[in-house]
Amino acid sequence: MISVLLFGPVADRAGIATLQFECRPSLTLQQLRDELAASYPQAFEIVCFTAVNGEQARDPQTSLRDGDEVAFMAKFSGG
Amino acid sequence: MKDAVRIQQEDFSQDEEIRALRASSKRIGGIATFLGCARDFSEEREVTQLSFEAYGSMALVEMSRLRDEAIARFGLLDARIVHRIGTIEAGGQIVFIAAAAEHRGPAFDGCRWLIDELKQRVPIWKKEVSPQGDSWVTPHP
Repeated sequence: MISVLLFGPVADRAGIATLQFECRPSLTLQQLRDELAASYPQAFEIVCFTAVNGEQARDPQTSLRDGDEVAFMAKFSGG
Repeated sequence: MKDAVRIQQEDFSQDEEIRALRASSKRIGGIATFLGCARDFSEEREVTQLSFEAYGSMALVEMSRLRDEAIARFGLLDARIVHRIGTIEAGGQIVFIAAAAEHRGPAFDGCRWLIDELKQRVPIWKKEVSPQGDSWVTPHP
């Protein structure tokens, strides 16, 4: 399984902060994003950053593996 | 002594942070600080509280990287970054940054760079709570 994390405004729009996604061979970040965006379109409208296992992932073709933690995040507004 | 980089719910003491910084080296000639505070007014409406949420583990790693980068880039002797999460009443303290160097120039530059980069790179989100309702802050470019 892949642990999906949503925070702040993205979590509010999705109505959920964490979810488990069934991993499958050669699943990419883009595919995961597309599938989740179909279920939570309003939340994914504001997703600007993605992280895999705590590191920003800029390549949408990044392969995902069972046990990965993937975060979809809106623009940061700390400070 | 508390860690130089922290994310915490509880309030912090600027004096305590500066004391810790000064204890790290007697070569320090200047310390520049930035204190971010919770304003009671934003976008023409009253704000009673701010609420901060973080991707804690990633935010802490990113803040530690920022500190390391600032030390290397500006030749700082030391630096500290503390950011609060959870609910903060208007007028409360949000974030504290202190940069210590031999001279004021690098201390000012390092401090400014740290808060600017923190806003861009650290996964923390701010929500304004007002009598008219709550809203997540959308950063300006």
